[in-house]
Amino acid sequence: MTKEKGDVLQGTLDMVVLKALQLEPMHGWGITERIEQWSESVLQLGQGTLYPALYRLERQDFIRSEWRITDNNRRARYYSLTARGRRHLNESLAQWRRMSRAINLVLDVTTVN
Amino acid sequence: MRALAEMWQRLRSLAARRELEDRLDDEIRFHVEQQTEKNRRAGMAPDEARRQALIRFGGVEQVREGTRDEFRAARIEHLARDVRYGLRSLRRHPAFSAMAVLSLAIGIGANAVIFGVVHAVLLPDSPLLQPETLVNVYETEGGQGFNPPSHANIEDLRRGTSGVFSGIVASTFAGAPIEHGGEAGYVMGEAVTGGAFALLGVEPLLGRTILPEDDVARGGHPVVMLGHGYWQRAFGADPQVVGRTLRMGGRGYTIIGVAPADYRGGMPALTPAFFVPMAMVEELMGAEMLDQRDFHSFFVKARLAPGVTRAQAEHAASLVAGSLTAARPEGWVPGEQFAFVPTSDVRVYPGLDPLLRAVALLLMAVVGLVLLLACTNLASFLLARALDRSKEVALRRALGATRAALVRQLLVESSLLGLAGAAVGLVVALGFFYVLLSVDLPLPFGMKLLHFGIESKALFDWRVLALTAGAGIVAAGFLGLVPAVQGTRADLGSALKTGSRGSDAPGPLRWRNALVVAQISMSLVLLVGAGLFLRSWQRMLSVDPGFGRVPTSILSLWMPVTRSTPEDAVQRTRRVLERFRSLPGVDAAGLAWPLPLEFSSSHTDFTIDGRVPPTGREAFRAERTIVDGGFFDAAGMAIVAGRTFNDGDRQNSQPVAVISQAMARRYWPDGNAVGNVLHRPDPAEDDLVVVGVASDINMRSLGEPPRDVVYEAYSQRDGGSPMFHFVVRGADPERTSRALIAAVREMDPNLQVFQSMTMAQHLAMSRLPSQMGAFMLSAFAAMAMALAALGVYGLVRYTVSMRTREIGIRMALGADAAGVARLLATNGLRLVLLGGAIGVAVSLLAGRFLATMLFGVGNFDPLTLTGAPLVLGVAAWLAAYLPARRASRADPLAALRAD
Repeated sequence: MTKEKGDVLQGTLDMVVLKALQLEPMHGWGITERIEQWSESVLQLGQGTLYPALYRLERQDFIRSEWRITDNNRRARYYSLTARGRRHLNESLAQWRRMSRAINLVLDVTTVN
Repeated sequence: MRALAEMWQRLRSLAARRELEDRLDDEIRFHVEQQTEKNRRAGMAPDEARRQALIRFGGVEQVREGTRDEFRAARIEHLARDVRYGLRSLRRHPAFSAMAVLSLAIGIGANAVIFGVVHAVLLPDSPLLQPETLVNVYETEGGQGFNPPSHANIEDLRRGTSGVFSGIVASTFAGAPIEHGGEAGYVMGEAVTGGAFALLGVEPLLGRTILPEDDVARGGHPVVMLGHGYWQRAFGADPQVVGRTLRMGGRGYTIIGVAPADYRGGMPALTPAFFVPMAMVEELMGAEMLDQRDFHSFFVKARLAPGVTRAQAEHAASLVAGSLTAARPEGWVPGEQFAFVPTSDVRVYPGLDPLLRAVALLLMAVVGLVLLLACTNLASFLLARALDRSKEVALRRALGATRAALVRQLLVESSLLGLAGAAVGLVVALGFFYVLLSVDLPLPFGMKLLHFGIESKALFDWRVLALTAGAGIVAAGFLGLVPAVQGTRADLGSALKTGSRGSDAPGPLRWRNALVVAQISMSLVLLVGAGLFLRSWQRMLSVDPGFGRVPTSILSLWMPVTRSTPEDAVQRTRRVLERFRSLPGVDAAGLAWPLPLEFSSSHTDFTIDGRVPPTGREAFRAERTIVDGGFFDAAGMAIVAGRTFNDGDRQNSQPVAVISQAMARRYWPDGNAVGNVLHRPDPAEDDLVVVGVASDINMRSLGEPPRDVVYEAYSQRDGGSPMFHFVVRGADPERTSRALIAAVREMDPNLQVFQSMTMAQHLAMSRLPSQMGAFMLSAFAAMAMALAALGVYGLVRYTVSMRTREIGIRMALGADAAGVARLLATNGLRLVLLGGAIGVAVSLLAGRFLATMLFGVGNFDPLTLTGAPLVLGVAAWLAAYLPARRASRADPLAALRAD
């Protein structure tokens, strides 16, 4: 798959997916839509990475999945956070905030110089 | 086996994979449809909307591929989760798990031990080079039997067949008192032709082997090679051992090397502690062995020269035998031939191999049955578990677990049981093994099973381990499959609706019934077999061998004779006997060689005036043993006519004989055997005048019909045999034995005590095969019965637990406890009766196979055929009745309330 401008940074994909599921269970397409919408269309999730990530997260017991019927009566696989996933998300978010703050500080200093 | 497991594994992962692929396809389709829908709502034409959606999604195949990588890792994690879950579930039912593991462990342990022993004795790895060109050499008379050749005959064979063999090598027994580490003990070794190791292709572990130049001058090269086991036992596997000196028989022998662990020497069923050159054996043993043509104690191997066939070798050897028969040297039996048997066809000894194979087959069949019983128990438990869990299974399926996942889960659980069974089975096997090794079997020369290559190491052979693990996994995998598949098939609705116990699912219960019937019949067959062997042993115990009925000791002395004249030897023996007779508590003493019921035997040919030998033979033949005049009294035999030997029978007086009553009756039915002459065709043997008739005894085997026996007078033989058994009658044989040894030590340091035992031990040796048979079969039959009882118990308990509510109602309505117990036990007992009937029928058929191994009982032994079912019946009745009675005692209200 060709690299897109809005590709999610390596290593942050899992966090973004978990974050998307924080409020309610969703199916794969819903997750793409949600992220696109939240990021003001900057982040466009490559499907080549979304589904492997979902299967991996499920295997790691961070999310679980089940078939459900959508509002317009279609069958879809819904993903939801597990307790373990919720913990993992909070840890990753805390770490991400520390990291991005540090990086921003560094970048700001450089501009002043 | 492995292919099967692999196939199963592949099928399983394929099923799991298919499931995941389908799910992924559905998700992708949904995703694309949603995107298409969105595009359409944004105003695109339907076709364009779909095209854009697919472009937006990217390569469908790539997505699939990327996701598949994730499945692969998932399978391993699923397995780990299943194992964790399985362990938890097994821990939750400790009684069930313990019974299943124990059943399997008993079955697997018994198999591992028997397979280990059979493997060690019958299927040793041959360390020999190119075994296909090696033959064992025996002597045979008229194609009958295989006798070990004498060294002199082998020398003639070697000289007369140049070019036929690339080498002929002989081994013989060489026991020696060895002083080592401050201790002196009699150690069994082997004298071997120089160059034998090289010919056979056996490389030394350390140092060098015995070379042709070590084996030239008689007594000239005191060198010794250590056997691997002895090197480990006595020298702590010291790598610096080569060059040191070992004192054997009063002389220092230089240690030149150590044999490899897998070489068990050239003699049957005996692993020697050391190897010395053949030229040293006469000095070491103090006996003339190599030039005596009638000293048949050599185990011989020959390697065919390149291009020579066995038939050609046999032809060349028959020419040698023919010229020997024509020349009639002293000690050559006219008409004897050499026989060649491919070395790889010989396990222990050609004459003994068929019996050993039969015994091995019998034992394997027996332990196979025990394993089968254990497996039926496991199957029965698993079926019961599957029924018990039908509600759990239905619930899990309703919650979305796929059937494949549940089957996998159940299989993992039963495989865990299998593995645990195999592991515990190995421990059980080790236990059996130490019991077997520690049982003080009456083996000749104080031998231990260790000397036959039977040691715990035999268990840790990879084939034995593979069998153990394989049995566990196959048993569990196979047995787990049926209940797993059946148990998960259950119709969800009905399983959830009915009571806690999955109703009276008739299919699995019928299975369990069939299993119990099979168990009962199998264990009955084993019980009958054990009963027959026990009866056979009992019969043997009651056999009167005709000698040794009173407390008697036997002391076997090895007297070096090469350093003394025959007259000296006779004088020395006389002094020993006189000394023995003077000891307190000794009533009578005599000597004999060979002893009745000993493994070695001797015979003599003779003719009688006025009687024609059987067609095709030159002479009559009888067992022969050499005794002194005191032997008959000491052995508790009677002289029924004439006299025993006395001081008047000397080297230079008329040679005389005592014969057995059976022989006297056969040749002189009118009762006047005394005074007749036995003419002997062998020029080395004198004609004998019969002076007495002795009561009949068992010579070769217990309970045999009386044989013709010629007793020759020790004082008239040339004293040439270095070994004699002193038979000493005295009230307390144990104490007598100790007194005899002390007396010998005091009298003459040259006399070596070869063996000391009581007559009871000597007789026990003859009963060993049937004793072993009785012991082993009883042990296995007991296990089988325990397993079958466990099976019945499990079934009845299970029935009870299913019918708890019914029991409550019956009792609330006034049924009495005994009636309820009877009702519950009835089904179990009906199965026991059916299994019993089948078992008796099979025993009658299988018994015929045992007939050759039994003594004094037919396979249709009424006592066994009634006793065995009775014992099993009582055990089965208890197993069925106990759980039933417990249920009937339960509080009816509690029973009713039970879900």
